[in-house]
Amino acid sequence: MLLICGTIPDEDFPLTIGPVAFDEESLFLDGKALSCTQGTAALVGAACKVTAYLGTEAPRALLVGDRGMGKGSRSLYEYLIRNLPSLSPRVLVLHYMLPVMGLMKRVVESSERCPRKPVLVADAAAMYAAKAAGLAPRFDIFTPDHSEMAFLADPEASHPAYVSRHLFESDSAMIPELALAAHRHGGAAKMLVVKGATDYIVEDGRVVGCVSTPDIPALEAIGGTGDTITGMLGAFIHAGFGFREAANLAAKINRLSGLHAAATPFTKIRHIIAAIPAAIEECFPSNFVTQQGPDVGDLS
Amino acid sequence: MVFDFKKKGQSEGGIILFNNVEEAIAAERLLMAAGYEARLVAPPPALRKGCDLAVEINLVEQTGIERLFAEKKAGYLEILPVKGKGALLGVVKVTDFGEAVMVKAGNMKLTFEKESGRVVNVSGGGCPDIPYLHACLIDKKLTEARRPKEYGYTLCSLMLDRAFIESLDIWKGNGGRS
Repeated sequence: MLLICGTIPDEDFPLTIGPVAFDEESLFLDGKALSCTQGTAALVGAACKVTAYLGTEAPRALLVGDRGMGKGSRSLYEYLIRNLPSLSPRVLVLHYMLPVMGLMKRVVESSERCPRKPVLVADAAAMYAAKAAGLAPRFDIFTPDHSEMAFLADPEASHPAYVSRHLFESDSAMIPELALAAHRHGGAAKMLVVKGATDYIVEDGRVVGCVSTPDIPALEAIGGTGDTITGMLGAFIHAGFGFREAANLAAKINRLSGLHAAATPFTKIRHIIAAIPAAIEECFPSNFVTQQGPDVGDLS
Repeated sequence: MVFDFKKKGQSEGGIILFNNVEEAIAAERLLMAAGYEARLVAPPPALRKGCDLAVEINLVEQTGIERLFAEKKAGYLEILPVKGKGALLGVVKVTDFGEAVMVKAGNMKLTFEKESGRVVNVSGGGCPDIPYLHACLIDKKLTEARRPKEYGYTLCSLMLDRAFIESLDIWKGNGGRS
């Protein structure tokens, strides 16, 4: 099971878990339609595109309404704390939620009680909570952008708003150093996929790959283009791809989707998501058929 | 009950300092009634000022808490992170895309159209108020949209507010056209 967890901006949406369907415009979870906009909805939409293309099991989503007061987020944490061992997902993606360090710690502890520990992926404020609580090394993958990379590299910051100015102002060429610093003080997951003008793939503090083409600068302005990378990454790992290959594919396909969508700063994320199948097609042989891949724990 | 800051469990990163004990007790009650998790603590010695009683909060919720205190005219000295230098990031970066300008503050980016001053995209962030603020801001003119910190709750919304204000300044500074 690929389980994606996060919030949506509708306070009335109850905590809901189930398989997700996607019809180009909307996501459907338990019969309820959700707009595919920036945030966890975009992440889920991108994951759905990958699983549909590969013919693998559709993602399951655990979503709840929360506009920032945190009530929905707390119910989501509590649900995971209680139910993760029985759900036992193969890949667990944690995304938009109020960062609550104490609850995140209990979620990670719960994940470690699964019969087989899930691949733990965190982005957005779930990543903030994991880092601030000192849990980063217990995660398999974080997917920060440049400013969030500075946050991970700052041992004292508990949110990107409080990151040291010199780290925030660092040039993107400094990302390898920031990644190494984050790894050394325990602010990084085992793998980092750092999204930016060049996407860096980092393992244990060391850069092992970069993706920089096609170069679509407008992608940085489009809300949701980081979310789509994380969603695709989770779907590829769930399909059996190795972490490094999945990261490369997600970064490359995101850029190609921008190219196919003729992205400008005015483009909306749903147009990028709609272009994902064409971008995947460009990366794979046209007769590509997915097999459930190797044991993700054995990938290197 | 007052907890010793060092002896309690996982800190959520933020602390509110007060002029006197009465303010601290009233603030804790106000926060709990509004749905925030908060508790009275003895402040760490390095941060101590005002009285010897403080309220521990989730630092991320600073924006909503400051607004609540302002609305209720609750007294306090300041809200600080428990670790670090205590300064919110004030610097912004600006990228010119030709027909649009992107302003980045911390982890938040706001992009507006030069011709109209219309918000065309909001990206970055990770707190749960951001998708809602995104939906509220898209296609609104900077001069007509509400400031994010008026209805956001988190530090991400505060960073978005800084990007918004900088965007507005750029827009106005160019005679309504960047």
